[in-house]
Amino acid sequence: MPKSLDQDTIILCRSCDLAVQRRALPSNVRALCPRCHTALYDVPYCSVNGMLALCIAAILFYIPANFLPVLEIHFLGSIRATTVYESAVAVWVQGYWIVAVAVIAAAVIAPGLLILSILLQIIIVKRRLHSDFWQQTYRRLLKNHGLLSQLSMLEIYVISFLVAAFNLSDFSDIYLGMGTFCFGMLFLVILFLQREYNLEHMWRMVHEE
Amino acid sequence: MTLCGTCRNINAISDARCSRCYSKIQPRNEQSLQQSWALLITAAILLIPANIYPITMLTNQGKVTYDTIFTGIVHLVHSDMIPIAIIVFTASILVPWLKIAGLAIYLTAISFNLPISKKKLMVGFHIIEWIGRWSMLDLFVIALTVAVVNMGQLLDAKPAPAATAFALVILLTQLAAKVLDTRLLWDRLEKNNDTN
Ligand SMILES: [Zn+2]
Ligand SMILES: [Zn+2]
Repeated sequence: MPKSLDQDTIILCRSCDLAVQRRALPSNVRALCPRCHTALYDVPYCSVNGMLALCIAAILFYIPANFLPVLEIHFLGSIRATTVYESAVAVWVQGYWIVAVAVIAAAVIAPGLLILSILLQIIIVKRRLHSDFWQQTYRRLLKNHGLLSQLSMLEIYVISFLVAAFNLSDFSDIYLGMGTFCFGMLFLVILFLQREYNLEHMWRMVHEE
Repeated sequence: MTLCGTCRNINAISDARCSRCYSKIQPRNEQSLQQSWALLITAAILLIPANIYPITMLTNQGKVTYDTIFTGIVHLVHSDMIPIAIIVFTASILVPWLKIAGLAIYLTAISFNLPISKKKLMVGFHIIEWIGRWSMLDLFVIALTVAVVNMGQLLDAKPAPAATAFALVILLTQLAAKVLDTRLLWDRLEKNNDTN
């Protein structure tokens, strides 16, 4: 397929379609569209090995974060604890399945798929899997990356532990569980992973024959 | 020259598919304006039940109290948890209202060619896109509370009807911002040839 010559020097703003000349940038600086101020590009600091390490760390925190108790209530001698997963099930059981689906999608499924998607992308790039099947998979993963990262709302969930704990402190003693710690760590690891990850850079690694 | 909507690769306008990701090339999505309006109006209607109906039900020693989003925040203020009250107020009331009002202004400007600075509209749009997710906070808090507080007549929390309405408001407003092709704004207002 013929590649147009100006592909690497001219870019179009995704919000307003203005053509902008690409210039070299110092690190940590983002280029904004001169017309509408949408972020255009920044220096890709995509390190594949760094991302791999963060991915593995994220997977290690993901499981305890979802299945260890995050909130514990001590009330008249009895103790109740809940995990992220159980909290969504509890709302579902009450008949509020739209709420349950929103919670599960934003706190459990989307972050999980995001980690797996990045991991698979790294494997494809690192092992140079150039066959049609793997390249198709790679394209599909990149296409859905934006959606997955928009659906992952770990930072909001971390704040909601605190809000729920303060809300309930009126009625009883509340303790944040081990799951909360793992969830907080998961949030931090994914935060760094997403800073390291650069979609534009990953697109440039598509193998073209 | 046009931009691939999926991977931001540059393609010739005559190409049918993007050379990099094989997506269909659509220079502009004209229908997106109508779709966005439809989603936004539905969300605005649902915002009313989300605010006036109770969102949680609490049983404390046999006594049942219903809380709407607003009374929940008032409780927090009365319990001297002002910072938490501010967070919840921002996430559950300010953000949804701002988002709906902002998107309405935005869509009106495109539909009726209003002479509003395009730059300001665009900055507003990016803020709306970014803060929109924070309204999920209340749903997370409800789910955690319902799961942990279940001790029969002594102390029990349950979600109430506004929870579903509120969840739908979040979903629909996010979709309304997502489906809109923002390049329409620049095309339509181009003719007015204002320099903002
Ligand atoms: Zn622009
Ligand atoms: Zn493309």
